Amino acid sequence: MMLQIQIIVGLISLAFFLATFEFIRKRFLREEYAILWLLTSLAIAVLSLWPGLVPIISKLTGFYYLTAVVGIIFVFLIALLMHYSIVISKVKEVNKELIQRYALLERKVTEIELKRGGGDSEQQKV
Amino acid sequence: MPVNFKFGMPVAHSMDGRIAVIVPAYNEEKTIGQVVKAIKELGKRYDPIVIDDSSSDLTAVVAESEGGIVIRLPYNLGIGGAVQTGFKYALLNKYDACVQADGDGQHPTKEIPKLVKPLVEEGYDIVIGSRFVSDTDYDISLMRNIGIKMISLFLRIGAGMCVKDPTSGFRAISRKAMAVFAVEYPQDYPEPEALIFAHKYGFRVKEISIKMYNRMHGTSSITPLKAGYYMVKVLLAMFIDLFKKM
Repeated sequence: MMLQIQIIVGLISLAFFLATFEFIRKRFLREEYAILWLLTSLAIAVLSLWPGLVPIISKLTGFYYLTAVVGIIFVFLIALLMHYSIVISKVKEVNKELIQRYALLERKVTEIELKRGGGDSEQQKV
Repeated sequence: MPVNFKFGMPVAHSMDGRIAVIVPAYNEEKTIGQVVKAIKELGKRYDPIVIDDSSSDLTAVVAESEGGIVIRLPYNLGIGGAVQTGFKYALLNKYDACVQADGDGQHPTKEIPKLVKPLVEEGYDIVIGSRFVSDTDYDISLMRNIGIKMISLFLRIGAGMCVKDPTSGFRAISRKAMAVFAVEYPQDYPEPEALIFAHKYGFRVKEISIKMYNRMHGTSSITPLKAGYYMVKVLLAMFIDLFKKM
């Protein structure tokens, strides 16, 4: 029974690790997130390969129950989501600024072209 | 152009300052032409500046053909981001003040000079064209009316501001306020939230009565059903704004 769980968790951590590695290779993940996920997959791998570690951690931290472990994972995920919200907010703000600057620059170009007497720039754009 | 320096920013001194009339527009090809034309008829000092918020119809083309200054956003930013683009343009191009008006033809463009007057003559920073200051026969749903009353009450309690029509998007804005809003402007519910910003920056706000038309085409972005939900979200956003670092 214990061995089965160990194998399953081991496979999960391996899949996780490989996926992370592949995403980094394809540049889907930025370095700061890559490190976070590599460490996470590594932590799962260590726990699955070395089951004796679990009681040691339990003794050190006082978390003897599965619910407590689930609680820790939950807090970890909440913190991660919060972090993503902050990142998305920042990205949205930067994006808005860029869209506005782009539109203003485009208008400026149109005005310069009109001043030059081209006059046909408006038609071209339509 | 005669300008005086009030609070360190140039303020339009006489009635000949240049006014940017900012018209945020999203798929308003049916009405935008008329709006631009009406603004141009006001006189040379008024420039219609249409911010095309990435419309899928011919809004930009129609506005351009009527002689409007058109700025096209490559992606949809929503009303807040669109209007803010207008403030940025007005600031860069040294307009003395600006007016915000809708592209759907609800706002009576011929009243724009009336809106600008208190900026110039009495030194106000924001002048709101209100549907409710005195009796106008503007048709409004009950739920929406309650929402507006609640927002109005919040402004009075939270900011000590007496504004009867805080959601009105028909307003004149001084160069001083424009300079602030070009950098920092609320995105989600810009009209009521901007008043909290105004309060935090100590801007002088005035409300004058304007008779508004009912919509010519399309439906309001705030349907009666959504009004309650809108109210809760706006009040929450305004509450958070009170604590924002500015």
